[in-house]
Amino acid sequence: MKISLNWLKKYVEIPETVSDEELIRLIGARLVEVEGVIDETHKYDNIYVVRVEKCEKIPETHLTLCQINDGSDELIQVVCGAPNVREGMLAAWIKPGAIVPASVHEDAPFKIGKRKMLNKYDSNGMLAGADELDFGDDHSGIVEIDPEMAQPGVLLADVFGLKDLILEIENKSLTHRPDCFGIIGFAREVAGILGLKFEKHTLERRPNLEGFLKKTFNSAISITIDADICQRYTAVVLEKHGEMKKKYLSWVDTILSKSGMKPISPIVDATNYLMLLTGQPLHAFDYDKFVKVGGAEKPEIGVRLAKKGERLVLLDEKEVELIESDIVITSNNKPVALAGAMGGQSTMIDEGTKSIIIESATFSLYNLRKTQMAHGIFSEAITRFTKGQPPYQTREVAEECAKMLKDGFKIVTVADEFKKVGGDVEIIISAEEINTLLGTNYEKELIKKTLENVGFKLEKDSNGFKVIAPRWRTDIKIKEDIIEEVGRLLGYDNIEPTLPLHATAEKNLTWELKTNLRNLMIRLGANEVLTYSFVSEKLLEKVGQDVKNSYKIVNSISPELQFVRQSIVPSLLEKTYMNEKIPVEKFAIYEMNKVYPRDLGLNDEDVPAEKMSLGFIVAERKNTETAYYKAKKYVAKILEEFNIVAEFLPFKKGRAEGKPFESKRSVEIFVNGEYLGVVGEFKNSVKNEFKLAPYLAGFEIDLGIILKYMSREKRIDCTKKETEDLTITTDKSYADTLKEVEKKYPGAKIEPSTIYQAKDQKTKNISFHIIK
Amino acid sequence: MVEMDELKKELKKINTEAGKIRDLPVAERAEFGRKINERRTEILKKIAEAEKALLDVEVEEIDVTAWSGVNEKMPEFYPTEMGSAHPLMTELDRVVSIYQMMGFNVVESRQLDDEYHMFDSLNFAKEHPARDGYDTFRTEEGLIPPAHTSTMQHRVLKQYKKNLDEGKAIAVVVPGRVFRNEDTDATHEHTFYQCEGVYVSSDCNMGQMLGILREFFEKYYEQKLNIRTQPGYFPFTEPSLEFMIEKPKSLGGKRGDFLEMLGCGMIHPNVLKMAGIDPEKDHGFAWGGGIDRLVMLRYGLNDVRDFESGNLNFLRAFN
Repeated sequence: MKISLNWLKKYVEIPETVSDEELIRLIGARLVEVEGVIDETHKYDNIYVVRVEKCEKIPETHLTLCQINDGSDELIQVVCGAPNVREGMLAAWIKPGAIVPASVHEDAPFKIGKRKMLNKYDSNGMLAGADELDFGDDHSGIVEIDPEMAQPGVLLADVFGLKDLILEIENKSLTHRPDCFGIIGFAREVAGILGLKFEKHTLERRPNLEGFLKKTFNSAISITIDADICQRYTAVVLEKHGEMKKKYLSWVDTILSKSGMKPISPIVDATNYLMLLTGQPLHAFDYDKFVKVGGAEKPEIGVRLAKKGERLVLLDEKEVELIESDIVITSNNKPVALAGAMGGQSTMIDEGTKSIIIESATFSLYNLRKTQMAHGIFSEAITRFTKGQPPYQTREVAEECAKMLKDGFKIVTVADEFKKVGGDVEIIISAEEINTLLGTNYEKELIKKTLENVGFKLEKDSNGFKVIAPRWRTDIKIKEDIIEEVGRLLGYDNIEPTLPLHATAEKNLTWELKTNLRNLMIRLGANEVLTYSFVSEKLLEKVGQDVKNSYKIVNSISPELQFVRQSIVPSLLEKTYMNEKIPVEKFAIYEMNKVYPRDLGLNDEDVPAEKMSLGFIVAERKNTETAYYKAKKYVAKILEEFNIVAEFLPFKKGRAEGKPFESKRSVEIFVNGEYLGVVGEFKNSVKNEFKLAPYLAGFEIDLGIILKYMSREKRIDCTKKETEDLTITTDKSYADTLKEVEKKYPGAKIEPSTIYQAKDQKTKNISFHIIK
Repeated sequence: MVEMDELKKELKKINTEAGKIRDLPVAERAEFGRKINERRTEILKKIAEAEKALLDVEVEEIDVTAWSGVNEKMPEFYPTEMGSAHPLMTELDRVVSIYQMMGFNVVESRQLDDEYHMFDSLNFAKEHPARDGYDTFRTEEGLIPPAHTSTMQHRVLKQYKKNLDEGKAIAVVVPGRVFRNEDTDATHEHTFYQCEGVYVSSDCNMGQMLGILREFFEKYYEQKLNIRTQPGYFPFTEPSLEFMIEKPKSLGGKRGDFLEMLGCGMIHPNVLKMAGIDPEKDHGFAWGGGIDRLVMLRYGLNDVRDFESGNLNFLRAFN
C-alpha cells in the first residue's frame, strides 16, 4: 500500500517540531513497517500552469502552434499535437530542461528541450497530457486545469501538493488492521503515535451502533443476503440528471496516481478514491443492465455462495468457473459479480449508463481469501476485504460517493440490509496489568489519554478501566490487545531492556553429538554439505528407492523437489557428480540431517516419525583401489570415537537407505543387534546413472542408535607393550583368519595390516599387527 | 542373458507386427497403433531393467570383512587441511551455544509437520489469510514442511510446562530447517534455517524480551549494539514486534543503518491456553529469526544459494 504524506497531513496536523524524517521513523517504530519511501519532491520541478493565449492550426498536420502565457511578460511558442488544445484554457507546461514526470523512475529519464518542428516552428517545452504527468494512461489530449484553482505562472506541484513523499507500507504487518487501509484510519494512528487527539472525520459522525444501524427498506429495490458471508449490504441507486464530463485535472486524479491506481472515469474514480479514503471498497453496477439480466421489474439484489458449475464473465472479459466458496452478487438469482473481487461484464457501466447502483458491502474474509487464491485476483479492493472490513460505515461511504457524483447523478433510492452486528467490545484492564506485561511504569492518566486519542472510550472500573473499543477496531478482543496498543503508541523503544534470572540449561544430546561429529570429521579431512530435504522422482528411481516410500509434495516448485527424501546418500551422489565435474580430485562429503521415509510410520503425535541420519560419500577421480575400505575406515573411526562396538554383517537388500549399495561390496552395521546402517560401494547401475568415477563408496548411519549406545569413556593403558607382526597364508576371509589369530593371542589387541596375493596364487598373505 | 535374448526377440516381433498397420482399415489403425506402442514401451522398459541388472551382475566380490584390498595400501583418512564444517551449521552452533550460556534448553525443529502445529496451535484462525503469508509446501496427506520454527512452540510449551509448576521458567531455543514455496535468487532460498526462542514465567515482561535479544546479539557480534523495534503482526504473539539492531561496525555498518533481525512478541494467551498453561498466571514471549542472513552478513557472502549447493570450492573455504 502506498501512502501520500501530503494527503495524510490533510487529516492530521503534524507539529512543526516533527520533521518528515522523524515522522517516518515514528510510523516505522510505532505503527507499521515502512518498506521504502518514494521521494517525489522534485518530480514536478519546472512544470507550470500556463494559459494558452493563441492557437493556430499548422496546415496539413494535426499540430497546433500555440502561444502560451507562463505569467511572465512574453508569450512562449509551443507546438502541440493534442486535439483538445484551445485558446483560453489553462494547461500544464513542461519547461525546457525539465524531466517528463512519467519517466523520472526510468533508466533514462526523458528531458524536454527546445525543438524545431517541421524544420521551421520553434517549440519550447511541451503541453502535457495526463499520461506524461504520470496521472494514469490517458493520452487523448492535454490536461486542463480549473481556473478557480490556479493562475498562469504557478507551479503545478503547488496547486496539487505534488512535492510529496510516498510511503510504501508492508501490508503484512497490517493484516489485522482493516481500518488502517484507508487514509482516515491511518491518520488516526499517526495522531495517536504523536500523542495527539484525532479529530473525528465527517464520515464518522454517527455516534453509536444503534443510531446508525437502522435498516432502510425500499420497495423500489430488494436485497437478500446470507448473514454468514455478508454482514451488511448497502445499495444506493443514482439517476443521471446531467452530463458528467471529466474536464479538469483533479485532486482525486493525483491521489489515485500517488496511491498506485489510475484515473479511469468519474464514477470508477469516485469509488476508488473513497476506498483509499475509508478502506471501504465500492462497486458500481449499470442499473438498467442489472435489471435486464435478472428479468424482474426492479433490482433483485442477492448475495449468496456460487453453485458448482456456474460461470461468470468478469470486467476483464475473462470467463471464470466459480468455486463453491466464491460469493456472488446476483440479479434475481443470476450471478452478475464476483463479490469483493471483480464486477461482471454484463452489468458494467459505460458511456451510455443512465442509472447506477452503488454497492457498499462487507463480505466474509475467509471466502474472499479462497476466491483470491482460486482466481488469482489481487486488486486493491480484495486486499482490503481480506483484512475483514467492519460493517459500520457502508452506508456513509456509499452516500459520500453519491455526493462526489452530484454533478451528473442524483440519489433516487437507498437500501440497507444487514444481519448480525456484535455489540461494543468492552475490556476490563488495570494500569498494573499493562505495566507488568510491558515492563514499564506508565501513569494511569497517560494510558487513558493514549487510548482515547485513537478513539477508545475509557470508564472507571473497580478493577481499573473499562475500555470500549471503537467500532472500526475489529482486532481488539482481549486484554493483550489493549496492552499492545499502549506499548505501541507510546513506543516500544521506551521500554527498558532487562535480563531475567533463571535456571541453567540442559544439554541437548543429539545436538552435542552432531557438534562432536562435525569436529571429528574436520579432523578426518571430510567436508560437511547441506542438501535439500526434497528430491526428484528421478533421483529416487536412479538409486532404486520406492517412490511410494516418500511423502509427495503437491505444490512443489519443480519436479526436482517433489518428494521428501528417505535418506541422505542419494542427495550426496548428485553432489558427487557436480564436484567431480568441477573438478575436485578427491573428497569425502557428509551431511547430518533429518529424514522421513514413509515406512517409519507415524509417531505418537500422529506426525511422521523422523530419523537423524548421517550420510557419507568418498570419491576420487583417478584411484583404482577399492573404495569400500576407505568408507569402512571412516565409519569405524566414528564408532571408535564414541566407544561403540559394532558388527559388520552381510548385506541384505531390505531398507530404503541400502537401495543404492552393491550387496557384494557392502555390509550392514549392527550395534547390540540393532540396525545402525550400511557401508559399502554402490551398484554399477547407480554409478552409471550418476556418471561417477569408479572409486566411490559411502555409508549411511542412524545417529539415534549412536546416541543410544555411545560413551565418551577412554580406556587408556600407558604401560609399555610388546608388539609383533604376523603374516598368515590362507584362502580364508580376513574375519575367519582373525578368529584364528585371536585364539592364538588371547587378550591382545590385533590390528589389520596389508593383504598380499601373488599372481596366479589362490592363497593370500594376511598380515596382522599384534599388541600384547 | 537368456532373458535378455528373449526380450530382444520379443521386441523384434513387435516391430514386425507394427509394420502390418498399413494393411488395416483406417478406422482400426489408431487402436492398433496404441496397443503396439504400449507393448513396445513395456518391452523397452524391461530391456532397460535387464541391462541394469546385467551391469550389477558383473561386479567382482571382495572380502568385506577385511580392512584393505588385496595388494592395496591400507586406506588413510584425508588430511585435516581438506576438512570443513558447513558455515550455516557452525554459526547455528554458535547461536545455540550463546543461548545455552544464557540458560536456554535446545530442541531441534522438525522438517515435516502438520497443520495443527504449524498453524492451529499458534492461534491462526482456520482459513485465515495470515496463513497465506507463509507460502507453505504441502504433501498429499496435508502435512507441511514447516515454514517457521514456531511449529515447535506448542510442543516445547507442553514439554516444559512442568518447569512452571516447580517455580522455574520455560526457556528454550529451537534451531531448525524451514521451507517456503518461493522462487530462489541471490537472497531467497526455499530451504533455510531459523532459530526460535520461547520464554515463559510468572513475572516475565516485554522489557525482559528486549533485554535477552539485545544480550544475544551483543554476544554474537561481540560488541555493544543499538536496538530498535517496530510493530508487527503475528497471530501467535500479542503485542507483536519486529526487532532490529544497528548494523555492527565490524560489518561496515553506519549510524542509523538498522537491520531487521527477527520477529518477536508476547505469546498470545490462546497459545498458552492450548498448551495447558494458565495465561492469568504465567506470561511468555517468543521470537524467531533467520540464520542464513546472519551468516551471510558475518562472512560477507552474497548468494544464499551457495549454502545448499554442495560445491566444494565454496565449502572448503570454511575449514
